[in-house]
Amino acid sequence: MKKLILLLTVSLMLVLSMVGCAKPADDEPEKVTLKVFMTFPRFQDQFEAYFEQFKAKMLAEKNIDVTIDLEMPTSDQAMQILKTRLSTNDAPDVFTLHAIADIPDFYEAGYLSDLSGEPFVGELLENVKDIVTYDGKVVALPLESLAWGYLYNKDIFAKYDLDAPQTITEMLNVVKVLKENGETPFLLAFQESWIPQLMTALAIGGVVTSENPDFVDKMNAGEASYEEIAKIFDIIDIIMANGTDKPFEVGNAAASADFAAGKAAMWVQGTWQAQAILDINPNINIGAAPLPVSDNINGTLINLSVSTSLAVSPTSKNKEVALALVNYVLDKQASSALFEELKFNPVAKFHTYETFPWSDEAMSYVALGRGYRDLSLPGAVTGEQAKLLQSYYAKTVTKAEFIQTIDEVWANSLGQ
Amino acid sequence: MKKSNRNLTLFILPALLFYAIFTLAPAFGGIWYSFTNWNGLNPNYELIGFRNFEMLLKDKNFINSIWFTVKFVGIMVVLQNVIALGLAVLIETRLKTKTLFRTLVFMPNMISMIIGGFMWMFIFTRALPMIAKMLNMAALDISWIGDPTFSFIAIIIVSLWGGVGYLMIIYMAALQGVAKNLKEAAMIDGANAWQVFKNITIPSIMPAITIGVFVTLNNSFKVFDVVYSLTGGGPGRSTQVIAMNIFEEAYSLNNRFGYASAKSLILFIIILVITLIQLSIMRKREIH
Repeated sequence: MKKLILLLTVSLMLVLSMVGCAKPADDEPEKVTLKVFMTFPRFQDQFEAYFEQFKAKMLAEKNIDVTIDLEMPTSDQAMQILKTRLSTNDAPDVFTLHAIADIPDFYEAGYLSDLSGEPFVGELLENVKDIVTYDGKVVALPLESLAWGYLYNKDIFAKYDLDAPQTITEMLNVVKVLKENGETPFLLAFQESWIPQLMTALAIGGVVTSENPDFVDKMNAGEASYEEIAKIFDIIDIIMANGTDKPFEVGNAAASADFAAGKAAMWVQGTWQAQAILDINPNINIGAAPLPVSDNINGTLINLSVSTSLAVSPTSKNKEVALALVNYVLDKQASSALFEELKFNPVAKFHTYETFPWSDEAMSYVALGRGYRDLSLPGAVTGEQAKLLQSYYAKTVTKAEFIQTIDEVWANSLGQ
Repeated sequence: MKKSNRNLTLFILPALLFYAIFTLAPAFGGIWYSFTNWNGLNPNYELIGFRNFEMLLKDKNFINSIWFTVKFVGIMVVLQNVIALGLAVLIETRLKTKTLFRTLVFMPNMISMIIGGFMWMFIFTRALPMIAKMLNMAALDISWIGDPTFSFIAIIIVSLWGGVGYLMIIYMAALQGVAKNLKEAAMIDGANAWQVFKNITIPSIMPAITIGVFVTLNNSFKVFDVVYSLTGGGPGRSTQVIAMNIFEEAYSLNNRFGYASAKSLILFIIILVITLIQLSIMRKREIH
């Protein structure tokens, strides 16, 4: 027993003396620890490897020995954890958040640094930069950017000599041809309410951008009603009337398997799901096209959006290094390889790697000017739309009730 | 006397401490937040008095979820206790297979209801339609999850499956404690089985029934996991229970933490009042 105590004391003294010796001499690297919080557990290896490169670079160029404390919770818990950290003054130096859903709240609460002056800003693609700009300032670095419409099975379309429909009349024709040949036009997966919500996202985006551009502002001013864009139900009704059976029993994973098996020709689902479908059936040819909302082709648009973005906490004690890290994520030399490996869409001008066919197809519409910036609806409205669409399909809510409820929810969300 | 009291207090102190820190303190915190407009994120928030509670009165979804929950509780309290008592009596009369049946019925109680919900999801959405096809029974091939009426039945079935075993154990223990001499005396006096059950057994197990009703009332009001894993409150909000409505308010729609806390406070008061009434009524009927 005595020996053990002696041993412990000696080892403790040794450790202490080592710490004492570790005072930085002039050429000793400065030690910095960064806390990084990211919601990408599926990309942990890639980011860890990338951060190793960053550490090496910092050590070589600035003589700073960076330790990165990387935390990657799953995305369904991430928000709660992050919010707890932020509100208890334990903010990570660098963290991810959703550009459209989270930036307003986080910015108002003072949890985001202004990054407008950072080198990466000049390299961002214009349409991407818009989305991470709030109150005239760039407040986050976009990581995952999206260009999406609905997915369609190119093999089925080719079999009946069909093209992606550009107007609602063409859509009706496609539906007719498919049905005549015994195919189901649309895959419906309503178990998770965010999937039907994609229909409203695209339909509202198309109608508002082409016919009622200041609709969101008017709604925020309390001067408009969903009555003005009731047209969105034209396409929603077509989809619901020509879809697969029992949609409430189909979740995202089951729907991906169904789509991969060719059970339906189209699925209102973003391009982010294409890889999962391809994993199930590597031979399927997936296309992405804009959803027609009327006979006005200018309303048939691709949604441009940014989801996960990287922000720097204003309370960071090592802000210089944190900013260096954020800039390194969009480094001219290194970042293309990272973005390509993660299968993210290009966000900077120098990103010229090869992308997926469905991304190319979606971007080809954007090149023609047929893209729109994801609308910034209040979170409560988006959530309510998701629920109401389920009820609308189950026929427990009518179109008029749908419109009335959304108007109320939007009005309530302003009062906060 | 005093010393033993102090000793007893010392014994429960560790448990009490954890209870106070992790249950009582957050509960009081919740009461405080219910008078604010905190959004769960912003460090600045204001006291807004009773405005959250005023809003509650006009919140259609919350009121609907209360009615749905009340309906659920009513059916659960009756069915769960009747079935549990029935099973207890039945299994108690088995001699050789008693342990087997007791284990089988109790088993679902040992797995998390989230997992149970997903298992039943599979049964409702995949297995039943298959069976329906094989046996040509169109009645089984309905949209168990997608149709509001049937999804309510589905939730009841799964909750009963998960909850009956626990109550049955309570009732079995109580049945074993019923005085044999009373029963025998009654039978000698010419009472039939039903009369013995009604006039001897039921009064003797009244304390167990009090507990059974108390437990089902409490748990059914707070039900969350079954509904969450089975229907997610859907389609739309047609099967949304109070706990889910609160969860949705706080975490998924508006992030109105203050408002959600006010809703939880209401749920707490509802449960408190109902269980107090229930306890006072049922205690009177117990034989001491």
